[in-house]
Amino acid sequence: MTNMGLLVSVFLAFVRVGAMAFGGAYAAIPLVEQEVVTNAGFMTYDEFVDLLALDEVTPGPILINSATFVGMRVAGVPGAVVATLGCILVPCAVAISLLFLFRRYKETSLVKSIVLTLKCMALALIVSTMLKLGANAIMPDAVKPDLARGAYAAAVMCVAFYLMHWRKIRPLPVMLACGALNVVVTLLGL
Amino acid sequence: MVHNTRNTEGLLGRLWALFVATLTISATANSGYAIIAVMRDDFVNKRKWFTEEEMNDYIAIVQSCPGPMAVTSSMVVGYQSAGFLGSLAAVLGVITPPFAVMVLVSVFYQAIVGNPYVAIFMRGMQMGVVAMLLEVCIGLFLDATKKPGAYPLAIMVLAFLYVRLTGCSIMWLAIGCGVAGAVKALLVGRKVSVAEGVAEKGDADKSGSKGGDAS
Repeated sequence: MTNMGLLVSVFLAFVRVGAMAFGGAYAAIPLVEQEVVTNAGFMTYDEFVDLLALDEVTPGPILINSATFVGMRVAGVPGAVVATLGCILVPCAVAISLLFLFRRYKETSLVKSIVLTLKCMALALIVSTMLKLGANAIMPDAVKPDLARGAYAAAVMCVAFYLMHWRKIRPLPVMLACGALNVVVTLLGL
Repeated sequence: MVHNTRNTEGLLGRLWALFVATLTISATANSGYAIIAVMRDDFVNKRKWFTEEEMNDYIAIVQSCPGPMAVTSSMVVGYQSAGFLGSLAAVLGVITPPFAVMVLVSVFYQAIVGNPYVAIFMRGMQMGVVAMLLEVCIGLFLDATKKPGAYPLAIMVLAFLYVRLTGCSIMWLAIGCGVAGAVKALLVGRKVSVAEGVAEKGDADKSGSKGGDAS
């Protein structure tokens, strides 16, 4: 495969991933695996598992991380660029189209009703993610639950919510403090 | 909601604020939900570019799109704040940190995967994210249930059950919710126009089409 052909196939693989990735990052991971490991053979399965670990410890949306990483491994920086652009192409087009429809028709009762319904759906999706993250933080290992660790995680979440909701502290510093606290607690061996 | 309130802060100021906001959060959190929470805080509470209700509208739109929510929400909020350039600045901000980090990381990734403290820090941040999501949920809930009625609650429960119990794509849920909203609007519109028709006895020439809002 020529270099150009390789770039095009990386681009198209991530266009497909981006277009199909409904329901958050974790829903997109199997799609990436299918495109990158099974269909195109850009990576071995072992490399893909490494990528998942990297996604967890690096900042940024998981899909962007994955696209950049795969593109970089396959075709260097140009590969990383086309993969990243590929995976945001369809989502951006859909988002801007929906936004235009919304701006144009938002005063009609039809669109008001649709947006209300979508708000309810959004709430359900966010609650579902929140519960998953919360459960994972309180009990990372379902086989061997650790009571002290779970109580600590629950307490941190409550305090974080208290700081944000009632003390009106900005979310970003609260989040960073949670991360730093976790490192300190682990270092002290608590 | 007028997006070009440019005279209050200046277009360049807005673009810069958008870029910095999305860059900062993308460089620290790895969840699209976190970026929504931080944007809400920055643009609604601090800068007052949007009302909370407008922000909730955007969240609803973004949830119906495929792809990374961080990118689509930056796109929508960017556009509403400063037009096309705004969406460009916001999307650029959100993809730059992961792009730069992953290009570096792919070169020496063993050292990073091997470092336990990076993972511990990220785990701790997750707890903060949970608290932040609760904030967002409360706002959305109060907004969606402003008008009394069982309909919003029913949709919330059904959507939640769909997500938790079926493994089906969110795409179908988004389409289903769109259809449900449309059907409800049409039914309510008809009910209202029938009621008005009875009340005004044939004098309801134009009122039927506008009736949906009244309920």
